[in-house]
Amino acid sequence: MFDLQKNDLTRDEFERLAMKHVDPLYSAALRLTKNERDAEDLVQDTFLRAYRFFDKFERGTNIKAWLFKILTNTFINRYRRSVKERTIVEGSERDAVHERFISREATEYAANPEQFFFDRLLSDDVLRAVDSLPIDFRMVVILADLQEFSYKEIAEILDVPVGTVMSRLYRGRRLLQKALAAYAAISGVLRGPVDGEPVDLDAFRRRQGKTA
Amino acid sequence: MSSDPTEASALMDCAELGRTLDAYLDGELAPPEEMEASVHLAACEACRALADGEAQLRTALRNKLKAAMGPLGGAGQAPDALRHRIHLALVQERKPFLRRVLGPVPLAAMAACAAGALVVLVSHGGTDPLVEESVRKHTRDLPLEVTAAAMGPESIAGWFAGKLDFNAAPPHFRGTDVRMVGARLSNIQDRPAAYVRYDLPRGHLGLFILDDPERRFGEVGRAVQAGPSTVRLINARGFNVAVWRRNEIVYSLVSDLDEEDLAKLVQRAQGQDR
Repeated sequence: MFDLQKNDLTRDEFERLAMKHVDPLYSAALRLTKNERDAEDLVQDTFLRAYRFFDKFERGTNIKAWLFKILTNTFINRYRRSVKERTIVEGSERDAVHERFISREATEYAANPEQFFFDRLLSDDVLRAVDSLPIDFRMVVILADLQEFSYKEIAEILDVPVGTVMSRLYRGRRLLQKALAAYAAISGVLRGPVDGEPVDLDAFRRRQGKTA
Repeated sequence: MSSDPTEASALMDCAELGRTLDAYLDGELAPPEEMEASVHLAACEACRALADGEAQLRTALRNKLKAAMGPLGGAGQAPDALRHRIHLALVQERKPFLRRVLGPVPLAAMAACAAGALVVLVSHGGTDPLVEESVRKHTRDLPLEVTAAAMGPESIAGWFAGKLDFNAAPPHFRGTDVRMVGARLSNIQDRPAAYVRYDLPRGHLGLFILDDPERRFGEVGRAVQAGPSTVRLINARGFNVAVWRRNEIVYSLVSDLDEEDLAKLVQRAQGQDR
């Protein structure tokens, strides 16, 4: 019965390690598939595949990154065609117009950050703005700015070079800012202040502490 | 190069800082580059304003994303039903493992009785380069060189005949839902191999046929008797693989079928052309 016990232990270990990440995986799956049913199927498939390959997972390495890699691959293999997603070929990486727009805006608001327009955007608008990004940019922004993976981890998850991660992130963030500004204009939050989300600067300060 | 900071600032100009600003703010620069960027920022007011603005923008963006899609946001929480579903699926998933480790004795014997002819001979752990490579190549889904639709499934063996120095005769799985799609030349390690792809109503099969006179391959997994041959069943990377031998020719069939259905299918292929 030793083997049987070992199997139960393996499943317990897997569930203990992997289930912790079900929320971020589901959140990403929802932005990839854009509907709850497909997102649930995608996450379940991801867990099943991860469990089958669990003997290939190196204990002590980053299981969250490993699960995101399986999620991404599963999505590409199985769902991408069905939701009619298409990769938009990256255009000029450094769009001068965007750059000027963002730089000017950034400096303008720097003196008064609590006035910053998307602090007051509704979450639904944020989700719609994220969903409007071409999928490669959407994924890289989610991995970097929501899940806080490093460039190297993202490169491994998406199986692309670090340089590609950087250029997609650059473009993705700027496209997202533009989309958010568009939603802010549509819903009128650019004009009158309403109660914003509480701002948590801890992550930012940690990062600052590291880079200073 | 001197380590004097005023000279170091000459190492990074405003354009370079602009290009590395994202990486700097993301904490991704290597220590010497980060030092150069910090030195430049300390000396250059315009870049500092730009960097501060960008940093605040980024923080606001991240907070916004977290509020909408993070663990506290509605779109960031997996429903309880999903957790439950995953747990059940994992418990179900254990069954093939269980069958494999408990080994041949109770479950497989029952399956053998039900199927009438499957008798487990021996179980043997470990991996086999044939199995590993079959799965790897099959999943890469390389384009086929000929299709059964274009030349007729009966002509595929003839197509191989001029290209391989052994008789690669693919089985046709008559009387089943399996349909031959096409073929290509492949290899397993240094051995040339025939690769034939089949379609099922749900899923695919990939069959590798190669010449193995030294009997290097196909000695792992669980051996069952299927018709006249001994067939080995191996689970590798989530695929069930059946390996059998006919004299010097080895067949490796990669499938997404469960073990029982695969065994039945192989048995049918064995019986028909003898």
